Amino acid sequence: MRENWRNTVAVFISIILGSVLIYIGTDGFRAFTAEAARTYKLVQEQPEFPSVTLEDSKERVYPFSEFEGKYVLLTFIYTACTDICPKLEMNLAEVYNQIPNKYIGDDIQFLSISFDPTRDDPATLKKYSSHFDSDEETWRMARVVDTTELNELLRKFGVIVIPDGSGGFSHNSAFYLVDKNGKLLDVMDYTKIDEATDEILNVLETEG
Amino acid sequence: MKKTGFAFVLYILMIISPIRNFIESIMIAHMLIQLPLLIFVGWLIGHFIVEKFHSLFNSWNINGVPGMIIVVFITMYWMIPRTLDEALTIGFMEVFKFTSLPVAGVILFDSWRRIGDLGKSFIFLNYLSMFGLMAWLYIDSPIQICNNYLTGQQRILGWGFLIITLAMALYTIQSVFTDHSEENVL
Repeated sequence: MRENWRNTVAVFISIILGSVLIYIGTDGFRAFTAEAARTYKLVQEQPEFPSVTLEDSKERVYPFSEFEGKYVLLTFIYTACTDICPKLEMNLAEVYNQIPNKYIGDDIQFLSISFDPTRDDPATLKKYSSHFDSDEETWRMARVVDTTELNELLRKFGVIVIPDGSGGFSHNSAFYLVDKNGKLLDVMDYTKIDEATDEILNVLETEG
Repeated sequence: MKKTGFAFVLYILMIISPIRNFIESIMIAHMLIQLPLLIFVGWLIGHFIVEKFHSLFNSWNINGVPGMIIVVFITMYWMIPRTLDEALTIGFMEVFKFTSLPVAGVILFDSWRRIGDLGKSFIFLNYLSMFGLMAWLYIDSPIQICNNYLTGQQRILGWGFLIITLAMALYTIQSVFTDHSEENVL
C-alpha cells in the first residue's frame, strides 16, 4: 500500500511540473506563438527607438528624433509586398481616418518604414503613398538607408524579415505605438482597427 | 545493448549540425521527423535506463499514470508553435529539446507497459484529437504562426498532421473490428 501512496504523489507532482512547464513556456498562458511572446516581451521592456536616419517620399532626410514630442504610430513595410503590407497600410489608413483631426500632426505622427531600402527609393515611396491617400506630412513613408541602422531597428523592435527567395519578404506585422520620448509604448494587432484606435485615443486624451 | 548502440548513433547523427540544420529548415521535418525521432531515441534506450533505475520506476510509476502525464505534458509543450521557433532562436531551448524528448521517450517506454488497455486507448484517443486540432490550426490559419517558417510550410505541416490523424482514426476503426472478430473466434 505504501507503494501506491508514492504513485499517487507522483501523479500530482507530474501534473504540477507539467503545468509549470506549460505556464512558463507560454508566459502564463499568454503567448502561444513566438510572435505573441515577442510582443509581450517588447511591451514589458519598452525599448527606445534607436537613432536612425530616415529618408521619406519627399526626399527629406532627418533623424527619427524629428518626431520628439509626438506620439508616433508606425508600421514596417516594403512596397513590392503583395499580401500583408497593403492590408496593413489600408488598416493604418483606417486608423488615421478615425483619429480626430485636432490630434493628427500635432500630437500623433503616422509613419510607414520600409525595410527594403534598395528598391523603395523616394519615388517608389511617393507612388505607394498615393495608393493610401497619405498626405506625406502627417503620414509619412520613409526608408532607412543605412543597413546597420536598419538592422539595429528591426532587431530592437523584433521585426523578423525572411527573404522568400522570389524577391519578396515574409515578415511579421503590427502597429507600433511610440511615445513622445521615442519609447515603444505598445505593439497592436493590425487587424483590430477599432481597438487600436481606441487605445491611441485613450493615450492622447489622457495626455490632454 | 544493440538497441542502445543504435539509439546512440541516431542521437549523434541528429545532433550533427548540417543534418540538424537541414531537418530544422523544413517545418514538417522539424515537427514530424525530428521530434518523434528524439522520443524514439529515448524509447530505444528505455530498457537500459529502466533496468538501471528499476526501483525508482517500480515505486513511483506503478500504474504508469504519473509517467504518462509527464509524457503528455512534454509532447504538448513541443506542439506549442512558439517552442518550435524558440528551439531555433534560443540555444538553451534547443538543448532542452534534445534532452526533454529523449527523457519523455524513456518514461514512455516504462509507462506504456504499465498503463493498461484502458489507459492506452485513452492516451491514443487523446493524441488523435490533439493531432486533429493541430491539423486544423496549421491548415486553416490565415497568419504565419511560426516566425521562422512561411505559411506554405505551415500548411504542409497541417496536412501532415491531418494524414496522421486519419491514419490513427482508421487504425481505431480497424482495431475495433479486429477485436470483435477475435472475440467471436475465441
